[in-house]
Amino acid sequence: MEIKLPMLLDGAMGTMLQKAGMKPGTIPETLNITDPEMVEAIHRAYIRAGSRAVYANTFGANSLKLKKTEYTTAELIEAGVRIAKDCAAETGALVGLDVGSLGVMLQPLGTLPFEEAVDLYKEIMTAGAKAGADLIAIETMSDLAETRAALIAAKEATDLPVFVTMSFDATGRTFTGCTPASMARTLEGLGADAVGVNCSLGPEEMVPIVREIRANTRLPVIAKPNAGLPDPVTGAYGVSAEDFAEAMKALAAAGAEILGGCCGTDPAYIAALGNAMKEMAFNPSKPGVSGFTGAVCTGPKCLTTDRIRVIGERINPTGKKRLQQALLEDDTDYLVEMAIRQADAGADLLDINVGYPGVDEVTMLPRVVQAVQAAVDLPLQIDTTNPETLEAALRVYQGKAAVNSVNGKEESLRTVLPLVKKYGAAVVGLTLDENGIPDTAEKRVAIARRILERAVAAGIPKEDVWIDCLTLTVSAQQEQAMETLKAVRAVREELGLNTVLGVSNISFGLPNRLLVTQAFLTCALEAGLTLPIINPNQKEIMDVIAARRVLCGEDEGCRAYVERFAEEVQAEKKPAAAASGMTLGEAIRKGLRNESGKLTRDALHTRSEMELVEKELIPALEETGEKYEQGKVFLPQLLSAAQAAQAAFEEIRGSLLKKGEQSADRGTVIMATVQGDIHDIGKNIVITVLENYGYRVRDLGKDVPPETIVKETVEKKIRLVGLSALMTTTLPAMAETVRRLKELPDPPQVMVGGAVVTADYAKSIGADFYARDVRDAVKITGQVFGSNG
Amino acid sequence: MKIPVEEALRYMRVPKSDEATRRLAEETAAMLEKQLHPRFLWRAFPVRQDGEGILLEGAGLRLPGNLAAKMLSDCDTVVLLVCTLGAGFDRMLKEWEARDMARAAVMDFCGSAWAESVCDEAEAEIRSRFPGKYCTDRFSPGYGDLPLSLQADFLRVLDAGRKLGITANESFLLLPCKSVTAIVGLSDRPQGAKIRGCAYCAMREECAYRKDGKFCGD
Repeated sequence: MEIKLPMLLDGAMGTMLQKAGMKPGTIPETLNITDPEMVEAIHRAYIRAGSRAVYANTFGANSLKLKKTEYTTAELIEAGVRIAKDCAAETGALVGLDVGSLGVMLQPLGTLPFEEAVDLYKEIMTAGAKAGADLIAIETMSDLAETRAALIAAKEATDLPVFVTMSFDATGRTFTGCTPASMARTLEGLGADAVGVNCSLGPEEMVPIVREIRANTRLPVIAKPNAGLPDPVTGAYGVSAEDFAEAMKALAAAGAEILGGCCGTDPAYIAALGNAMKEMAFNPSKPGVSGFTGAVCTGPKCLTTDRIRVIGERINPTGKKRLQQALLEDDTDYLVEMAIRQADAGADLLDINVGYPGVDEVTMLPRVVQAVQAAVDLPLQIDTTNPETLEAALRVYQGKAAVNSVNGKEESLRTVLPLVKKYGAAVVGLTLDENGIPDTAEKRVAIARRILERAVAAGIPKEDVWIDCLTLTVSAQQEQAMETLKAVRAVREELGLNTVLGVSNISFGLPNRLLVTQAFLTCALEAGLTLPIINPNQKEIMDVIAARRVLCGEDEGCRAYVERFAEEVQAEKKPAAAASGMTLGEAIRKGLRNESGKLTRDALHTRSEMELVEKELIPALEETGEKYEQGKVFLPQLLSAAQAAQAAFEEIRGSLLKKGEQSADRGTVIMATVQGDIHDIGKNIVITVLENYGYRVRDLGKDVPPETIVKETVEKKIRLVGLSALMTTTLPAMAETVRRLKELPDPPQVMVGGAVVTADYAKSIGADFYARDVRDAVKITGQVFGSNG
Repeated sequence: MKIPVEEALRYMRVPKSDEATRRLAEETAAMLEKQLHPRFLWRAFPVRQDGEGILLEGAGLRLPGNLAAKMLSDCDTVVLLVCTLGAGFDRMLKEWEARDMARAAVMDFCGSAWAESVCDEAEAEIRSRFPGKYCTDRFSPGYGDLPLSLQADFLRVLDAGRKLGITANESFLLLPCKSVTAIVGLSDRPQGAKIRGCAYCAMREECAYRKDGKFCGD
């Protein structure tokens, strides 16, 4: 089907149904069966007003919202689309299957798993296509995760064109923080046919949003504003049909070509808009097919690739024992911390690689991607050689990702590029093929050219292809350093592509590695390296980047550079916090994380790990805990002390790992927030503190079904389970979980806590312990595992 | 919109003398204020009382139970109000839980205090739209015998999913986490019925203040 531009859509359905006498509380889609005439009259009015496409009355028809009705999703959609089609036959207008939010939040903000959302949407899309819809209109979305789920479902279940619009507010973001640029980049990548904005704002407020969308997509842009804002007392909307039509001219000028109305608009608005459109200058300066600036993004952050962008390399288990252990133990919190550290150090993107023997990459990588995305808004580079893992991770990634990597081998091109295309990612092409890494720059450029050709043939835009000319270790293959630089320059100049290099590799095996790495990085940036993969936590390396940004003019007015070093001068002036004479215990009591780590490192030269734990860490934590009980220190200080102790524990763990020993295992506790409950900060506070007493904690998260808790308890032979609940409505789930745990042949002990839990209640449901606060939880755990603390 | 830091410290049960926590709370509040835009939304409905309780016909909603009957007995108009700090808060909280749990804990309290003050602001707007009317105390689903299950209807009536991005799960918990629904009755006469104080509080059995023999208004 061809989308003829410009195109006039219809106006509000809900507003019209209310005017037509729909009873408050009615689920509007049920009218498709109970009162089809009411719906039909509205479609006809819009078609007579000039709408070239009408959206069927199917916005809220999904199996979650319809649970309490007697109708199935398919029934209501079939009826809704049929009514619209009958009306549209009059003028040959198109019929859109109207699809809205499921009304619940997806993980990680909410609890609905991504694939379940996709399945719910597929049911809708399939029904709509079967009923004969001409196009799919996904609208009023605010969560990029859910929007992606809907679009992926539409593309996988049907061949129909898909219009997608999200709702932005006056701050220029959706309610979940997605930017117009991120929306446009992500949805174009996934194969939408038109993108834009609807609801929430009036036409005037929508102009900057349409402009930003226009600048970030090659697709036609849709604008469906409200008729201003509703009055909370009368419910009336503020902008008249004439003013609405007049104001829409600015949206056309900003680049919108598919126009319609949302809440508060009616056929009079659409007729007025249709008239106004005859005079509108549709001259959107669409980005051209070539010369479009590339970008990667997450919902909150869109990062164009027209300048130096640092890719953080740390989340890669090769040679990192502590990370390997975290992966084997399923400890995603540790990886999230690594991500945050790199973000704070100035990384622009983060590479994520979890490939290690014993780790099930296919399940682990998407889990890590989701965990990192819940806490960090940087775009990610998904790093795996396994296509199945790659797809699993790309599917859940919220935004436009980068993929590391494809290479010149036929097998790789054939399996990786279609996934890059399907999920709209950028891709790193390694200049190697069946014959290995060529030893001349020319041959590497030839492979780069082949990768580019194949990518473009697969439908991947040129700006999304990044080339890695491969850094070889200079102490082993000395002449290759210059070949790599030559290749970088040629890829940049001849192919006009962004370039990636894993920089640190250059100095392997040499003394004073840092100097060689810095020198190579400087050369590579001059040769045209735009996307260095480096360790952003190494200050001296980031200093090179900061200086380069000054020299090439990216750091306008040297502002960032001056700021970077102003902070340093300040820090130098301050007296060193780790003043001589401070003991590890004091550092912990004062909650000084860096000092506590440093003092532990120093102390480990002369004292054993066990001794530090027994003589310094635990007593300091105990003292703080007692003061907390006495009301002399408060929760923030207690937690600061716990975190300082954690820094010490990390050093101790690292030291033991180096010797090939495991850290002392004082016992493993399962912690979970019960099913239906989504507030988990209380549980997380308890975990932070317990871990610093040397206990292992398996954090099962929030909204955890009883069966998951039981299964984990049995599998891991757990002796103590901690459950939290915040609301009275979730207490039954706590009771049920305790009941099932106590039915086990060898039941664990159970402690419960949370805002609404009382000692009496704990007893009544058969829990062994009631933890009033975090201190109680520590004491109980000590009691169960037979140690003090 | 400013975060009432004093209030957050009170929720934390930190005494005024604790300078370190106060500084942390002030810094955290500034960070939140810079990054988040709380929103609220309200609608007024004429109210009718029948044998089965309070009926908001325009909303297709009934407010069952004694609390609503008592609070609204004198009212001709009822305002349904919802406010939220938005999903940005949930995201920042997650980030800080990973980065610094001490600050995350403080952030959580700041968020709760902020959400309440946003409701105050909404209430001030409501009062200004109804000069000459008297307001009841603000109350919410989950107070007294007003069922928490009203959350879902509340969101539907206000179209809060679409307009503010608020959802309720099957246990009637609101997401984003710092979201509040509330009811304010409007009458031509001063309102005597109060819900402030422990006797009306759904938390009275579990309240940390009461466990210490104190009162949350102290």
